[in-house]
Amino acid sequence: MKIYEAISKARYNYVPDHILGELLTKRWADNVVPLLFLLLTIAVLANLIPGFLSPQSMSDSGRQLGEFLIIVCGVSIVMIAGGIDLSVGSIYAICALLAVAVVNLLQWPIPAAFAVSVLIGATFGLLNGLLIGYLKLRAFLTTLITFVIGRAIYDILLDQLGTPIQLTYVDSPLWDFIGDGSVGQIPVSLLFTAVVLVSAHVFISRSRPGWHISAIGGSRRSAFNTGINVKKVVCLTYVISGASCGIAGFLFGARLNGTGPGTGIGLEILVLTACVVGGISLGGGRGSIVKGMLGGLIVLTINNSLIRMGYHSGTNQMVLGLMLAFAVILDIRWLRNRHKVLDKVYVAPVYTSMNPALSALPESGTPYALNSKLSDTELIGAGEIEGPEDVILDEHDHLYCGTRHGDIMRFFAPEYKESEIYVHIGGFPLGLAFGKDKSLNICVGAMGLYSVAQDGTITQLSAETTRSYLSVVDDARLRDPNDLDIGSDGNIYFTDSTTRYDAHEWATDSVENRPTGRVLVYDPKTGKTKTLLRGLSYPNGVCMANDGESFFFAESWECRVNRFWYRGIKEGKMECVIRDMPGYPDNINRASDGNFWMAWLGMRTPTFDLMLKRPATRRRMTRRLPKDDWLFPNINTGGVVKFDENGNIIETLGDLGGKNHPMVTSMREHKGYLYIGGILNNRIGRLKLQGADANWTGISSYWGDNA
Amino acid sequence: MNAFSSIKFTQEKVVVLVAITTFVIFSIFLTGFFSTSNLIGLVRNVSVLGILGVGMGIVIIGRGVDLSVVSILAISAAYFIELLNAGVPMWSSFVIVLGLVLLVGAISGFLIAYAEVPPIFTTLAMGLFVYGFGRSQLMGQDVAYISDEYISVLDLGTIKFAGVPMEVFVFAGVCFVAMLFLRYTKYGRYTYFMGDNNLAARNIGVPVRPMIILQYILSALFSAVAGAIVAGTLLSMNTRIVNSTLLYDVILIVVLGGIGLSGGKGGIRNVIFGALLIGILLNGMTILDLEDTHQNLIKALILLGVIIIDTSINQRDEQTEKQGDI
Amino acid sequence: MFSYKKLLRLLAVVTTLIFSSTTFAQVDPGPELARKALEGKRVVLMPMAMGFDLAQGWNYYIGKEVNSWGGIFETRDPNWSVEAGAQALTDVIASKPDIIIVHNPDLRSYVKLYKRAQKAGIYVIQIDNRSAYNTEAFIGSNWETLGELEATAALNFCGEGTSGKIGLIQGEQVNASSIDQYNGIMNIVSKHDHLTIASKPYSGWDATKAQAVTTTMLQQHPDMCAIIDFWDGTATGTAAAIRAAGKTGEIALITTGGGEEVDCKMLNDGTIDAIVSTEIPKQSAAVNAVIKFLLQSGVPAGEMVTFNYTDETITTKDDIYPGYCWSLQRNAAKTTW
Repeated sequence: MKIYEAISKARYNYVPDHILGELLTKRWADNVVPLLFLLLTIAVLANLIPGFLSPQSMSDSGRQLGEFLIIVCGVSIVMIAGGIDLSVGSIYAICALLAVAVVNLLQWPIPAAFAVSVLIGATFGLLNGLLIGYLKLRAFLTTLITFVIGRAIYDILLDQLGTPIQLTYVDSPLWDFIGDGSVGQIPVSLLFTAVVLVSAHVFISRSRPGWHISAIGGSRRSAFNTGINVKKVVCLTYVISGASCGIAGFLFGARLNGTGPGTGIGLEILVLTACVVGGISLGGGRGSIVKGMLGGLIVLTINNSLIRMGYHSGTNQMVLGLMLAFAVILDIRWLRNRHKVLDKVYVAPVYTSMNPALSALPESGTPYALNSKLSDTELIGAGEIEGPEDVILDEHDHLYCGTRHGDIMRFFAPEYKESEIYVHIGGFPLGLAFGKDKSLNICVGAMGLYSVAQDGTITQLSAETTRSYLSVVDDARLRDPNDLDIGSDGNIYFTDSTTRYDAHEWATDSVENRPTGRVLVYDPKTGKTKTLLRGLSYPNGVCMANDGESFFFAESWECRVNRFWYRGIKEGKMECVIRDMPGYPDNINRASDGNFWMAWLGMRTPTFDLMLKRPATRRRMTRRLPKDDWLFPNINTGGVVKFDENGNIIETLGDLGGKNHPMVTSMREHKGYLYIGGILNNRIGRLKLQGADANWTGISSYWGDNA
Repeated sequence: MNAFSSIKFTQEKVVVLVAITTFVIFSIFLTGFFSTSNLIGLVRNVSVLGILGVGMGIVIIGRGVDLSVVSILAISAAYFIELLNAGVPMWSSFVIVLGLVLLVGAISGFLIAYAEVPPIFTTLAMGLFVYGFGRSQLMGQDVAYISDEYISVLDLGTIKFAGVPMEVFVFAGVCFVAMLFLRYTKYGRYTYFMGDNNLAARNIGVPVRPMIILQYILSALFSAVAGAIVAGTLLSMNTRIVNSTLLYDVILIVVLGGIGLSGGKGGIRNVIFGALLIGILLNGMTILDLEDTHQNLIKALILLGVIIIDTSINQRDEQTEKQGDI
Repeated sequence: MFSYKKLLRLLAVVTTLIFSSTTFAQVDPGPELARKALEGKRVVLMPMAMGFDLAQGWNYYIGKEVNSWGGIFETRDPNWSVEAGAQALTDVIASKPDIIIVHNPDLRSYVKLYKRAQKAGIYVIQIDNRSAYNTEAFIGSNWETLGELEATAALNFCGEGTSGKIGLIQGEQVNASSIDQYNGIMNIVSKHDHLTIASKPYSGWDATKAQAVTTTMLQQHPDMCAIIDFWDGTATGTAAAIRAAGKTGEIALITTGGGEEVDCKMLNDGTIDAIVSTEIPKQSAAVNAVIKFLLQSGVPAGEMVTFNYTDETITTKDDIYPGYCWSLQRNAAKTTW
């Protein structure tokens, strides 16, 4: 290995570039910017203000913060649904005043005051909701007007109630506790806030109305067309916002036991700024409670700290304005460029050194030498199907294959002219295998492991495995379940080729060449899926050996076949049976003579082999060139290889002219014929095998003739 | 515009109708309302609002909104006075302030046009910043008073022509200039195109981005004119005006008059109608000696009524609604 | 019995007496006691905002004196926001200063915080605007008396034979100083049959709005003899309306303010005709006295209630002379402490 390559390997194989791309795919990645900003703010302020982080100071700030965050939370929900609420300051003031009045003048119990406050807030919100949701007024203008109305009502109420409130004094320990009390070091109002925030978070992210809210924000028209009651849900958001002002108003009332003409003035600007700084998009579609919370923390912390540091009037607004502009610009740029960045950053190629392979040239004389035997196959379903990755035949000789439309097609024996859609599953059905009960087990790309019973009922067997702790992407999900086979223990052994790409992006995975594939086992008795092997280079076809204790599986990008023992004396051991093939192996299936058929989806080329040693070049290629111009592995010439249990190559079939089967992803021997499928082909081929057992079927090979 | 005029009962007509009704009612029942001097006073009282409304109207027609007008009004005038009081010659002060006003408008426009930040946030941030920066860095107090030596020059409040105060003429002048701009220049047409369908305007070759900058510069400029009038009549500028409801009133008269927030509709006429309606209401209620809180309530309820009527006449359709409109 | 112990004790007493009497004769303990009581004490001033004449005046006059006796003087600027003020006050209380001087935005908002401050052993001085809760000291105007004075001043312009019509430009309907002024004015008006309140619109403390409502008011009542504006900050607007109507000199404008240079200027050029001044230097002197008293009194916080109403007078053009008003600019130039 040259020094250059050693450096390259160290750089690209041990520096985890791929993590960055994976982080960017996370929805919460958006929150990183405001979070970092918040931490920075706190760090700076803690340095500037003595005692900033003292428990007393935190607890004091917490009280006001609590009220503010509750309102931000309400407005966040309105904004997620694509609206805006400017009337919060007025509602807040009215509710605070009424809470104080109920406690002091009417001398009602405190919970009643809370109820009144929330109810009045919700009612005012309902007014907004009716106007905006049902009468379809514009949110901005409407809440602007209700803001003025609310302020006028508040002033009139204050005029009426202000003097009587001054003259009474109520001694209520509960009222004082809510206003001044703490549980441990945590102010009561902050506990209220925690409850509200958590419920709001669960509501938005885990409940049906919450999803409806996000759906409306994302696309109002689509939400309407899918049957969501848009009017009602929009109205609901304003009621929530109003009620949150009610809770906050109640807490304000308890904190100060009084309100003044200035209560709540300018609140709408602060709240709006908080939402935007947190990263909630105006016009809906993007946002979360956490975002609102982060924004609220940032805005209020800075606002209070500037006053605390004794800065001049106006400094606050100046900083607030700068912050708002900065946050919005950043947010807009981020939103606009995130997917571009992701596209560029996500593919993180690694260094791979391929050993030289035996030649597959027709005249080379090696066992791999290709020929044109596959050029003369009978064609089945030519032009009717797209993408039969795998093919299989049942005991009645009917032929099954998956298509890229998510269907399982059935061709009827013996002519194979007539066909039907056997079942529709969705996803991209790949590997197929019949179980002992004659159910058809299927690896569905992008979906998981499925089973179709004889009566056509579809069961999802597995869509997830155990999550590994250190993986950034959710590797519990099966992204590319590729091929399967059923062991003598009844378990289904299957491959999940990559955790970084979806099934249709398999070619991109080859360019990256990062081994992230897995071999998994599904246990029908427990219904659980476990990961057997990980870190494989695009594990693909799986086929049980004849000993009932092991199976072969192919690693496409490494061009090798491994054998793994799942039971017996060598349980847990893996051996490489065939290495350094000239083609990229795909599915493996049994042959009638006790050997195994293996498909080559394409052939190695010196250029791509060289490219694999040049991760930097590949990275540059993926960042600068459109996908159409990338250098991919050659998939225009494939073939079928027969090998024995020890990995000796017995026979190779090819289609050199690329007439019928330029690429092959699977083949299945059945009663003296070999049936050939290809993921990019639009046909299935049928080849008469000379000297093969005309009665041999895969099913009987697995389950005996009586099965 | 054809589709627009085919609607029989527009918001504009509702507003005119309400305005005429209240006008007639006040004229009959309020002594002293229907007199030349009171009506002139009425117009004078809404002239500042109207001038701001004209700038805001142009921006809204182009499918934007400018929330920084009041800050610009306050700080431009206040800084001008501060400069004078610091001994800077009048013309230099004028040039400096004018330059800053243009710069502020241009920056807002730039952020909206090129950084594609929604106008509501850009101008909100700009308003906060202009006030905050001006108040904390450029002046020592909330109020800037014009010093004695300049009072004779800058006392605009007493200037009258034929009994009509100067503010009314400035308002009329601003309306006229804006009307010429919107009606008779290609840039005015462009503004309507942009408001109507920004993408289409761009596709037919309207220089959309420079146009946005132009609109915000105009708005900033008109705000500064309004600021000059306020300072010229009060002989001082109180920056606390940014805390008042003036900004909301400006948006209300513009939208109320019939310039829809979604752009492309209306004209200067609508600003005038909106301003007059508010003027009539405020004047009548002041004569009635209503308490200020009740005045606000009545004003807001009438506004709410107008937009409810408008929306129920011109129903919004779920299918043709533009995503992201608020 | 004359024991050794007793003798010693006697000796001790005698020596102490001799020594103490000599020190007593030579040094006044007052300055030292005051120094001990005052030095390093922290005083925090929080007006409604820092950016207007009253606040700037207090800041100067109180700040200067606190610094002169070695105290620490700080200010907070909530810029007219009650919320920000409440939070700032909470923070101030947590930092445990010795005295807080607060300018109330309204009657109730800070009441609970005052109790909390007193519980924490901090004296609370309320200035200019009262609240519903009485603390160690209130120093400021009796707004009702102030209103009476304004009406009395108006009486000078609205004698018998005039229309007797007075217009009021009130502040806010919900503001205590506004309400109290109104009551004071009505006390006087009710005693004089020929006086009537023609109109009483609100300015919302906004000069532009004051101008607008005055314009309308003058249309209705061109024969008005006096207008009382509740704040000199809005009087500029009212004056502008009077000027625009060409009634300067015919209609008297009476207002109230802090006695800053602007007030004198407005009196001089005839913008206003009379002002009831709260005279900030005088008010600040009272605050300074109370601060020193409180810090030396040894009275625990929360056990005393005093009211110190500023003595107000009607000032007209005839009363003033150069230097009569205090000046922000002059103060700013002197701010070297």
